[in-house]
Amino acid sequence: MRKEPIDPDGLVWKRVSPKYLTVRLLGWVVGTVINLAIFSIPLVLVLTDVWWGFPPLWVAWALPIITLVICVWRGILIPRQVRAIGYAERNEDLLIRTGVFYQRTMVVPYGRMQYVDVAVGPIDRAFGLCSLKLHTASPGTNASIPGLPGDEGARLREQLSARGEAKLAGL
Amino acid sequence: MTTHDQAPPDGPVAPDPTLLATSEDQWSRVHVISPLVRGWIALLAIAFFAGRDLFEGVLIGEESPGLSDGGVRLPWTIAIIAGVVVLVAVGFMLSWYFTRYQVTEHHVRVNSGVLFRQNRQARLDRVQAIDVVQPFLARVFGLAELKFEVADAGESAVKLAFLKLSDAQRLRATILARAAGVSIDPENPEDIQEAPEREVLALQPGRVIASTLLSGTTIFLIFGVAAVVVFAVTLDAAAPLAVIIPLALGVAGGYWSSIKNGFNFRAAISPDGIRVRYGLLDTRTQTVPPGRIQAVGISQSPLWRTKGWYRMTVNVAGYGIAATGDAQARATLLPVGTREDVLQLLALVLPNPGTSEPIEVFTAGMEGRDSIAGFLTTPRRARWIGPFEWRRNGFAVTDTALLIRSGFFWRKLAVVPHERTQSLALHQGPVYRRFGVADLLLHTTPGPVSPRIQQVDQHTAWRLFHEQGVRAAEARRRSAPEQWMRPVEVAAATLMPPVPSYSDRDSREAPDNHRGEAHEPHPIEAHDPHPEEAQRAPTDHLGDTPDGQR
Repeated sequence: MRKEPIDPDGLVWKRVSPKYLTVRLLGWVVGTVINLAIFSIPLVLVLTDVWWGFPPLWVAWALPIITLVICVWRGILIPRQVRAIGYAERNEDLLIRTGVFYQRTMVVPYGRMQYVDVAVGPIDRAFGLCSLKLHTASPGTNASIPGLPGDEGARLREQLSARGEAKLAGL
Repeated sequence: MTTHDQAPPDGPVAPDPTLLATSEDQWSRVHVISPLVRGWIALLAIAFFAGRDLFEGVLIGEESPGLSDGGVRLPWTIAIIAGVVVLVAVGFMLSWYFTRYQVTEHHVRVNSGVLFRQNRQARLDRVQAIDVVQPFLARVFGLAELKFEVADAGESAVKLAFLKLSDAQRLRATILARAAGVSIDPENPEDIQEAPEREVLALQPGRVIASTLLSGTTIFLIFGVAAVVVFAVTLDAAAPLAVIIPLALGVAGGYWSSIKNGFNFRAAISPDGIRVRYGLLDTRTQTVPPGRIQAVGISQSPLWRTKGWYRMTVNVAGYGIAATGDAQARATLLPVGTREDVLQLLALVLPNPGTSEPIEVFTAGMEGRDSIAGFLTTPRRARWIGPFEWRRNGFAVTDTALLIRSGFFWRKLAVVPHERTQSLALHQGPVYRRFGVADLLLHTTPGPVSPRIQQVDQHTAWRLFHEQGVRAAEARRRSAPEQWMRPVEVAAATLMPPVPSYSDRDSREAPDNHRGEAHEPHPIEAHDPHPEEAQRAPTDHLGDTPDGQR
């Protein structure tokens, strides 16, 4: 993983499963197709003469093209975004980092966790993945790790719960 | 309570062990006229709509549906209205009859619901705050509502509406004594004394009104009127002037809620925590036990700068975030106060400031700029991101709390005790990366204060991020027990500790006295079957709260 300026020194990030990239790309393909279909409607209507004159032909062409450019750009970013997701278990806390342009590094002390969620959706299940979410008493703690292999997710959940119990303090 | 003459005044009241249920089957009901007090709005609404119809009918004459058949339908109308009123009244009476509560040594339980029964139970030592609220009509009858808050962000775990004021106060004292870990011997209830209380601060109505007139609402009003006038002049039309009416209504509403919630504001300290009272028509007494305040925010709107006034808000886990005026008032620790008032209240919230020069540090946080008194600001190279506020942005760390300063026009200071930090996050976007700065967010329980250190040098940010995690862990290990008076020295519990203040070094240590480390035997023994469990129960800090068979 590339080292970013806000990354801590001497820390080995664990990466999420490479299969998660496939899941994200699948989602991206579906999203792109839907977006393109929606933004092509004016073009189709203009070309088939259902609507004439409005919107102007160049606008009708521009819409799907801009959509396509945005979607392709997001598609190019996905591998980097997936590679940017990392987590590290330390003695007292769990570190999670995400983001390529807008980077975020979060630390959740084990003693602050109220509960741990493990969620598996149908597509995740097909790839043997799961996502894990930590909850503290603060709604601002948006600490989730997507795309974990199933057994790693289970291990992490057990590990976090055990450490949380050992370290738990009041609010 | 605004009623100074009322006996008993809402002062310290001795805990009354007879209020605790002795057996599983001992249940109580709220006061018998509660349904009337709770239902009067419904009745008033019915009376209003029905009355308006009839009244308009009389005015318009034959046109009205109520009288159109020459008085034949009038008796029917009255009968229907009476029927609805009776139905509503019966509904409220039934709901009253089926609502029963019980306070035991360790729990408060409420059973309610006519068709859908609800049993709710909350642990006393999980209390985050207790409110005694008197809506206007309840005040007329000398009744009060007791709200027991746990950390579920918003909804009151237990609401007892309504009890006699004196009963509500005694119940509050009893619950707080139990929650504090003081056990009460039913044989000798005199052994346990009331938690004494000392008034720290009282606001004069003059200052409340002046502060309202100088508040941000006024700035909004000035800009709003200016915009409307500019529009009207440039368009040469009077139509935009009509906007003034809703604008004026909004502003008047803002003024009214600010005055009624700041009116007769008083803050007091007792071993049971900080107690504030306020209210013009509806009065409210809030008690926040020690260690339940998660973060403090101090802010100053531009016009208040001329008077040197500040406002203090707090995050308390039980209060949550609701945008309504009531919720905002609940999260307000001080509606308006001078720097000295703020420092005084800060000393109550944070008895140990963790620095040898608390006044200098907090003052620098409230009104200072640049790197003085231990504050670190945005580096100069990043001044273009925040041309005005870069000299204000900053943070300072003391042994017990993190101070976060921001805002140039609207000055803000957030104080977060280390042991209350939930989690931390570093944020850095592309522009910030270009300037080598980052934001550091502290996550606390929901509330008006959202601490964010803005545009701090990225290496400093990372170091703080790391150190803050360590400091928070350390502070949690050292932090006071959940049951704040257990074990407790009886003399220390009954003698009022001096009011903590930053200007007096001797009294700074005082608040720790009543938390005592002493284990010597004395008449009031905290007897908890599972002392370790009570303090460090692993999973149920939030989950346990309104549990039971909901």
